Amino acid sequence: MSNKLMHPPIMPIAPKPSQYGIDPSLVKKRVAEMPGMCSLKLSELFPELPDVIYPGGPNALDELYEVAKAELRKVDMSMIQPDQSVNVLASHHGFTLLGGHPYAILLKAIRDVVIEKTGCKNIRLRAGVGMRFRETEEYMKRYGLDTYYEGKVKGVAPVDEGIPIETEVGTLYGIKAVYDADWIIHAHHTDVREVHFHRQIDKAVKPFSMSYARIESRSTYHQNLGPRAANFTARAIFESDFVQSKFAFGAFLNVGPHGVIGVDADNDLYAINDRATFIGCQLYGKVMTLFGEIDECIAVLDFPCPVPYVFSAGVIYANFTGANTDLYDMEATPLPGYTWYTEAFYTKKGKPLLKEIPLLNPAIKMCVHNYSWTGYPSAFFSEHIPTVVVGAEQAKLFDTEPMNIKYMDHAVIAKTTEGAMKFAYSTTGTDKVIIFDGAMGGLNCSESLAELLIEKAPAVSERVEKELMPKWFRQRGVDMSVLDKLNQKH
Amino acid sequence: MKRVTLKAVVDQDLCIGCKVCEKVCPVYAISVTGRKAHSDSDKCMACANCADRCPRYAIKMVEREEPFEVGVDVSKFDYEKIRTLCEKAHLNPEQVVCYCVGTRAEEIAAALLAGATTPEEVSAMTGARTGCTIECIQPVLRLIQAAGNELHPNPDGWQWYGVTVTAWDIPEEVKEKYNSRGFYFDEDRELLDKIVKVRTDEEA
Repeated sequence: MSNKLMHPPIMPIAPKPSQYGIDPSLVKKRVAEMPGMCSLKLSELFPELPDVIYPGGPNALDELYEVAKAELRKVDMSMIQPDQSVNVLASHHGFTLLGGHPYAILLKAIRDVVIEKTGCKNIRLRAGVGMRFRETEEYMKRYGLDTYYEGKVKGVAPVDEGIPIETEVGTLYGIKAVYDADWIIHAHHTDVREVHFHRQIDKAVKPFSMSYARIESRSTYHQNLGPRAANFTARAIFESDFVQSKFAFGAFLNVGPHGVIGVDADNDLYAINDRATFIGCQLYGKVMTLFGEIDECIAVLDFPCPVPYVFSAGVIYANFTGANTDLYDMEATPLPGYTWYTEAFYTKKGKPLLKEIPLLNPAIKMCVHNYSWTGYPSAFFSEHIPTVVVGAEQAKLFDTEPMNIKYMDHAVIAKTTEGAMKFAYSTTGTDKVIIFDGAMGGLNCSESLAELLIEKAPAVSERVEKELMPKWFRQRGVDMSVLDKLNQKH
Repeated sequence: MKRVTLKAVVDQDLCIGCKVCEKVCPVYAISVTGRKAHSDSDKCMACANCADRCPRYAIKMVEREEPFEVGVDVSKFDYEKIRTLCEKAHLNPEQVVCYCVGTRAEEIAAALLAGATTPEEVSAMTGARTGCTIECIQPVLRLIQAAGNELHPNPDGWQWYGVTVTAWDIPEEVKEKYNSRGFYFDEDRELLDKIVKVRTDEEA
């Protein structure tokens, strides 16, 4: 390695069996294994990042369980009576973070501490989804949550029976099974995921309009309000008398782009939200801003989740496609290069309806789709970014999936990973490669890209701290002093 | 325009006749009679809702031997009528409303001009709402209302419940209360209004 900050690649998690992806045996090669690749540790790129519990030593998950219990014991649970029922609400994405075990540990700790503190044993797990209605059913089995919760688990989907919720802006709709208990506990995480949608506005509240919500509410978010008002749908539902009458507390896995920092549990969800905003802007904001410095690259998808959600250093591919803009800047970036409102505003000829709508990140010269799942409409990406899909089986899966019937209209197929990469190198002329394979604690990339990232990171860090963060917080009405409280908490 | 490549097939031995499939089908292609579900392959638009919500995993999506396409030819309709209808629903005719199928507002409007009056009819004619079946329900309902139709959700189903708030009807007091928390209500409404009025070279 030409630089001491470059390390051998971090092997990504293995392909997973799922109805949304190809058989794991068909994934013959991971791009991280290929010549010229290395990894960068985020704690070395940004030394100021806080310490993490996980990834860690062999007892890291046990330590996380104890930290979670200690935090949960501080929360007021006196409203929960022994003869009542409690729904612990979970969401799919938590299970894709750092292999999924940390989020499962949090869900187990919540159950244990509620029983310990209240004597209530009628505790159910309700796990919401994005667009893959079986996804959390698969996760609950994989992580043993079905047995841990003694069979009281249910995957819920936005087409399930609904319940009207009266809000300040009229009737919105939740999933009935989410609210069919005396109390609800909102179990989530601080991973930023879809910054292009929520813009780090009320991120902690978002599941009330997504994974806990019916199609009507989710469509309100993505079609009715606009790109920067969308997440008000979540606040409107959460602040309704109905939801407030059931809300007990929130319990969040504090996740940074480099690992699990801790657990944040509080009866005040907005207090959690303010702290989550800092994590989102300060920690993830640096990686996202750094990725915006990439001048040219081949982007590789290599993780068991849908195309836009594969991630590198905590940044999902969908956000990388908008990294040519500042996704956190509410004023300068009304519409990112990718968000559904942006996608909606492209004409039949494939051009934006308004000239001020930014194009997808021009630094992405080609996308090599080595391994990724269906279950999210992704044709917009293959239509506007040259895309090579590895393997005829994977191509066939996309070509017959209801949300992606046009994905392969715009992509080409390579028989092997080696062939796809060779094609990408020779066609684009760049040897810079960024791999979205969820490598834990760092990111996998080519040595040529690593050199650029190492060079740019210090200046990016300073810019985010001194110039961007004050602006981002001002735009969100978040008090900077919360940062001190967050530091004390850790 | 949607290419339909799959169809739902029910395993009669596993089916318990619970009717969940019936309640989540966006085109009423599956129904329970004689305590067993039956899917009409001519109507099935392959969204997979029935398969993905069946509590007994009794429904599988299988490849069709003969895929088919559905869609409404926009060119057969007066485009000014299409534009008027779309604008009434605060949509640009070329705006995509169904991200999975790629259906644009103009095609939904054309389906309504061709006689559709319900979301189910719109979906059967255009394929919209038969991908994820989640995100496009509101603009579809807005267009149906703009065409002068009343909305009557199925009391026995969960297909859809009703229209919800839009950028054009958020109360001023709500905006004032929450503007400082980073919601750009009026700015977004201006952006959406600007989009509605754009005419592409093709349309002009």
